Amino acid sequence: MHRRAGIAGLERKNLSREAYSALQTKLSQQQLDAMQTQVDHFRTALQRFARSHRADILRSPTLRGAFVQMCTSIGVDPLQGAGPSRNKLAELTGLGLGEWQAELGVQVCDVCIGTRDRNGGLIEMPELVRILCRMRGLGEDGEGGVNEDDVVRAIRSLKPLGAGYEVVTVGDTRFVRSVPRELDVDQTALLGLAKRNGGVLDEDSVVQTLGWTNERARAGLENMLLRDGMCWVDEQDPRGLVYYVPSVMVWEDD
Amino acid sequence: MALRRRTLPSGFTLPSIHSLHPFFTHQTVPTTLAVQTEHWTRLILSYARHARLFTLGVEDADLKTGPWADILYNPEIARSVKPAHLESLIATLVAQGKAYYDPPKQTRTVLLLWRTLDEWAEVLFTWASDTGQLNTILTFYEIQEPELKSELSGIPTPLLRRAIQALIKSSRAQLIDGTEGGGVRIFASTR
Repeated sequence: MHRRAGIAGLERKNLSREAYSALQTKLSQQQLDAMQTQVDHFRTALQRFARSHRADILRSPTLRGAFVQMCTSIGVDPLQGAGPSRNKLAELTGLGLGEWQAELGVQVCDVCIGTRDRNGGLIEMPELVRILCRMRGLGEDGEGGVNEDDVVRAIRSLKPLGAGYEVVTVGDTRFVRSVPRELDVDQTALLGLAKRNGGVLDEDSVVQTLGWTNERARAGLENMLLRDGMCWVDEQDPRGLVYYVPSVMVWEDD
Repeated sequence: MALRRRTLPSGFTLPSIHSLHPFFTHQTVPTTLAVQTEHWTRLILSYARHARLFTLGVEDADLKTGPWADILYNPEIARSVKPAHLESLIATLVAQGKAYYDPPKQTRTVLLLWRTLDEWAEVLFTWASDTGQLNTILTFYEIQEPELKSELSGIPTPLLRRAIQALIKSSRAQLIDGTEGGGVRIFASTR
């Protein structure tokens, strides 16, 4: 634009700036509206989907996982009644996922407490899922089963209750810890080793495999035994004291 | 390591924990010990019921043969319950009222109550009634070694006496002193 000097020039410049800014506001408003409409459309579609496939969602773990992920990505909580009333989608769909999840949470507690005596409050995720599926009389991961992600979500929903349940990862296995206690670095290493050794640990193997001093190995094992109650000790082994970690052993049901 | 149940030739199934090596070591951690003791006492009582064993003693520990070897010894993992451990299990059974020391004033041998005394009393009454022996005098021997095997076959005399005491308490029996160990008369139920 050719620049002119004087009052008239300045006024014109102001005028055009105002016009531009008005146009800009209008444009972004339009974009926002369009976006809003799209989101609304998506929500409606999601609602319709949730309503017509409610049974499928509750039955199939894969579909449920995908659905929950979709809900989260557009910022809606699929848990009915789990939050304040802005939780519109859940109210509208009446999906009952919240109830479903709460129920699963209760079952997770059931299993964790029920097996605590033999595993010291640390249960392997696959084992937990297996017991849950059996409790529900359903096939594993198949029709009507539950999978690890469901359990993770259920545990997350238990958090406000202060139950102290947590998912911890050791090596490539996830565990659910139902006793409020941190696993320190040594415990984690020992647990990982126990997992590889079929649940059996002794001082020598710890020293050899992890390269620890005897003192550190002994202290770690004793902590695991006495402080955490996570293992049982066998005094009848010719090698000396041998520690068994029931939570990483495979149990046939009695 | 996989822990499996094991079915004995006698048909009794051992729980999977029976194949866990440290199950045979007296655990030191209180919570673990409580779990272990619970499993052991349950196993002892259910096995006793299965094999109709009435007595358990510290001497039964650490044996590879004998009436209790099937549960107190696991040859597959070469582990056995040690005497001190068994003595503490026995003490727990007594504390729970699931056994009592017999003879009294020692802590090494017990009579196991896999049926309570009241239950034994009922068994005795039902047996006498079903075999038409109410109101007649029965010797202990006739009850313990009946011609037709019964629930009461082989019941030790001290246990039988206590069961009779329970019946006497509900006025359904009377002890009769006799020459050969005595006898009992069981009355038809007054209720």
